Amino acid sequence: MVPEQLRYTAGHEWVATGDDGRVRVGITHYAQEALGDIVFLQLPEVGTVVAAGDVLGEVESTKSVSEIYAPVAGTVATVNDAAVDAPERVNADPYGAGWLLEIELLETGPAGPDALDGLLDAAGYRKLTDA
Amino acid sequence: MNSPSRRSPLHDRHAALGAKLAPFGGWEMPLEYAHGGVIAEHTAVREAVGVFDVSHMGKARVTGPGAVDFLNTCLVGDLDRVATGRAQYTMCCDQATGGVVDDFIAYRHSDDNVFLVPNAANAAELVCRLAAAAPPEVTVSDEHERHAILAVQGPASERVLDELGLPADHDYMSFVTAPYAGTDVLVCRTGYTGEHGYELIVPIEAAATVWDAVLAAGQPYGIRPCGLGARDTLRTEAGLPLHGQDLSLDITPVQAGYSWVVGWSKPTFWGHDALRAERAATPRRQLRGLLATARGIPRPHMPVLSAHQQVGQVTSGTFSPTLQVGIALALLDTAAGLSPGSEVAVDVRGRRLPMRVVKPPFVRPSAR
Repeated sequence: MVPEQLRYTAGHEWVATGDDGRVRVGITHYAQEALGDIVFLQLPEVGTVVAAGDVLGEVESTKSVSEIYAPVAGTVATVNDAAVDAPERVNADPYGAGWLLEIELLETGPAGPDALDGLLDAAGYRKLTDA
Repeated sequence: MNSPSRRSPLHDRHAALGAKLAPFGGWEMPLEYAHGGVIAEHTAVREAVGVFDVSHMGKARVTGPGAVDFLNTCLVGDLDRVATGRAQYTMCCDQATGGVVDDFIAYRHSDDNVFLVPNAANAAELVCRLAAAAPPEVTVSDEHERHAILAVQGPASERVLDELGLPADHDYMSFVTAPYAGTDVLVCRTGYTGEHGYELIVPIEAAATVWDAVLAAGQPYGIRPCGLGARDTLRTEAGLPLHGQDLSLDITPVQAGYSWVVGWSKPTFWGHDALRAERAATPRRQLRGLLATARGIPRPHMPVLSAHQQVGQVTSGTFSPTLQVGIALALLDTAAGLSPGSEVAVDVRGRRLPMRVVKPPFVRPSAR
């Protein structure tokens, strides 16, 4: 349940890179399973500028709440309204229909596309969650 | 609290069902099961049937000549209001303050034999207080690890008991002892979900046999093993208090809106003077329900605000799987003058969640 093509944070977010300078962000299968039934998503407004590590929002289950952190710097370009309306999508399909938001990367500099270099690959994330 | 957690006699069954375990009052108990989850388990109880292992609950027996009379001088409830074979929801309050030591159900087997099912974390304290006060002819025994308790709850629970050949048509808050598989099962028409249901009190040795039988008999009705996560959302929807949150040594039955459990005409009981005085003067705070009018989930200890002033605190708060909104029980200052229909806000980690004051239950129970 750790797709090869994605990148990961130690905080259990996944990042999918696109060709358009945007990345898509969600939480991992491991995270949704640990949270249990997800019933509420608090996501930022489109247009919010975030630095890597900023709090993006919250994912709340019947029993606990977890903050989501920006894996990369950029501008919030889209939020998944369908998941906000039906948060159980995050449980059912964390890497697909349960994605959370898209961030438009800054074009250059240390916060640009190279920022992805700091993220874990699938093997690295698997190692983290197998421990 | 460094002692290792105690385990239910059904621990292996829970492990086999992929239960996520969590500590509850010194016990390690199922929070939810694999292939289930809080919402699926909650829904099974509201729409069909679920079975909970609540063996962590305390069990204590008060026996000897005058056991009922002795308990009547201690507990707030009037046990003479219930006949033999009936149970009463009651509380043990602190003598000096009237705060709640524990809330529990007392099963009146006879004038000389009353069985109590206190909360896991309070069982030892309750037994200690009662034993210290008991006259020589009355014995208070801690039977915590001698019995298991299985709660079979939901609209189809009666059919499941029928299938097992257990008595099921007795009144709400009554109980019957019945033979089952070579042992005696105490079948109580009680529960903590707001639904029609039963609590089966069985000797620890028979726990696995009865658990397996309930799950098998319930299969045609869609039974699910349910964890304490669903138990909490169910009881909150039903507006039932949880000791340690909505009731505590700092909260009296009068503040919690449970004056009705107190046998006010009894000559004495622990906390009599404090509770009587508080009732006469109007309590300084009262437990109310709050229903979210926007998205968000209130949680215990969050401040309740009215016109930017704190007017109370959430004691229990969760997402209601039935209503699909946040719900809470909260202690509100009487001086704030709030009543059902008043609009308030709960401070959810710095965000204001608008909520409306309501009279619990949030979901109309069909327990009777």
